Amino acid sequence: MRFAPPNPLRIADRASGLNALSVRSYNERLVLSLLLQNEGISRMEIGEKTGLSAQTASVIVRSLEQEGLVSQGEAQRGRVGPPTIPLSLNPEGAYAVGVGFSRRRIDIALIDFIGTVRFHTQLPADEANPFPQSSDLFGAIGQAMTSLPVEARSRVAGIGLAVPDDVDTMAATRNGSSTSLKALQAEIEEQIKLPVFVQNDITAAAGGESMFGVAKPLNDYLFFYLGARLQSRLILNHQIYKGNSSASFDHGLMRLESELAMRGRPSEIIWSSSPEWPDLGEAYSAWLGECSDRLKASISALTQFVEFRTVVLSSYAPQKIAEALCDDIGREFPGIEALPARVTISPKAVGAASLPFSSRFMIQ
Amino acid sequence: MRSVLCYGDSNTHGQIPGRGPLERYGPGERWPGILRSQLGPDWYVIEEGLSGRTTVHDDPIEGAHKNGRTYLRPCLQSHATLDLVIIMLGTNDLKIRFNKPPSEVAMGIGCLVYDIKELAPGPGGSTPEIMIVAPPPMQDDVKEWKSIFAGAPEKSRLLALEFEVLADSLELHFFDAGSVVSCSKADGFHIDAEAHRLLGTALARAVDAIGWSRST
Repeated sequence: MRFAPPNPLRIADRASGLNALSVRSYNERLVLSLLLQNEGISRMEIGEKTGLSAQTASVIVRSLEQEGLVSQGEAQRGRVGPPTIPLSLNPEGAYAVGVGFSRRRIDIALIDFIGTVRFHTQLPADEANPFPQSSDLFGAIGQAMTSLPVEARSRVAGIGLAVPDDVDTMAATRNGSSTSLKALQAEIEEQIKLPVFVQNDITAAAGGESMFGVAKPLNDYLFFYLGARLQSRLILNHQIYKGNSSASFDHGLMRLESELAMRGRPSEIIWSSSPEWPDLGEAYSAWLGECSDRLKASISALTQFVEFRTVVLSSYAPQKIAEALCDDIGREFPGIEALPARVTISPKAVGAASLPFSSRFMIQ
Repeated sequence: MRSVLCYGDSNTHGQIPGRGPLERYGPGERWPGILRSQLGPDWYVIEEGLSGRTTVHDDPIEGAHKNGRTYLRPCLQSHATLDLVIIMLGTNDLKIRFNKPPSEVAMGIGCLVYDIKELAPGPGGSTPEIMIVAPPPMQDDVKEWKSIFAGAPEKSRLLALEFEVLADSLELHFFDAGSVVSCSKADGFHIDAEAHRLLGTALARAVDAIGWSRST
């Protein structure tokens, strides 16, 4: 027996708040990821799923509880077997800010640890200059942070940016703007003093849906994002794949806009985050039909190569559009379940905000 | 049926605060009794509380039998098979005659844990689950025990942190009794009936939280 004094630090003391970018142990990440996927599982189930001993799980859970990342529920006493104490992620345990860049607007969202949007605002953008004035952006991020009570602000884990691939070239060719993504990232890190994570916008939206939405339990699915354009990602075994070509289908809301313009109707509403659109008449039904055909064609083409049973359709546009398109897909492909995404308030910004969480708390 | 051994000192024995060493709360009132009623018929709760018990020291005044280490092995073997061992000790180590800092008390607990692991009295010769309970901090006024416990109240407030450090490092279940109860003002270091009830209830919950499979 070695009579060495124990390690002088409590495990929970090591991290000393969220802002110390300490390396979180693999086992802690494993437990947090499990709790994200399975709300309310017990310590025993954690042990069963991870192979950790009850005592090791106990030490990890205790430390996560002390950090405020995990909370215990009331004992569940079933009719058979011993009672279980459910564990969950504490929604107030961590927050993150996400910025989603789109052609017409920039969404800024603050989410809690289980993905609930606690604050959301928008800035206008145009294609010529996809980046807003940095002062506006800092203002909006600051607004998101100050929407939290003072004592919770230190729990913001970081900032994520969801950016279209062509944003740099777009900015440079259209107006010679020197604002590059890297510069913007560095500036935010400097100003806000939080780590900044960057990802492609559609990939981020798919990642957000995998972390917090209907895709949580899914290993494989096909993800569509209906924004200005219609874009897709294939998720196989939790990995998000992006096609090699930069092609995205011109059947998104831009197409609806031109259908409306052709008929001399106003189209501002479709770029807003209004939960309902007024009756847009013939233009709408014509566009919806085309969009549905495009989706079905893509799904049909892909099923020749890959097996997947679920399609997830994400959009900030009113939920009934996604529902109508999913119904269409379901009718066409009886073996495939089509689900409207759960994240409806700015999926890109929520996906962006999930980046600090996955980088700092989860297994990759 | 699962078995849990409650290994402790006078506060596990159920000694009534401010009374003589022979006066004890009833079986249903002391915390192991509360634990028994809370855990229900699936658990066999074994009480092993001895007044004056230390972690690893022969007491030169009260007797060598107060040494928690020498008694632990026969005790574990007597009560095997054990699924869980709860240890709540440490207060008596703070008597001035032992002259030990809180960290050393935690190391004493570490010795007991080592012995449990070596003896492996769990199911099929395995190590049982081990839960370390930090005793509640003493009151500043320990009445006529003032000279015996000189300097002890201050040290007692540091035990929970030291025990938790130990529990983290040896990977043990841990519970801080001070988070639910305080010592009675009657003598400053024993817990009263209400505290026994609260502690037993909280420990039952901590035992449940370990998570036990349905089969026994």
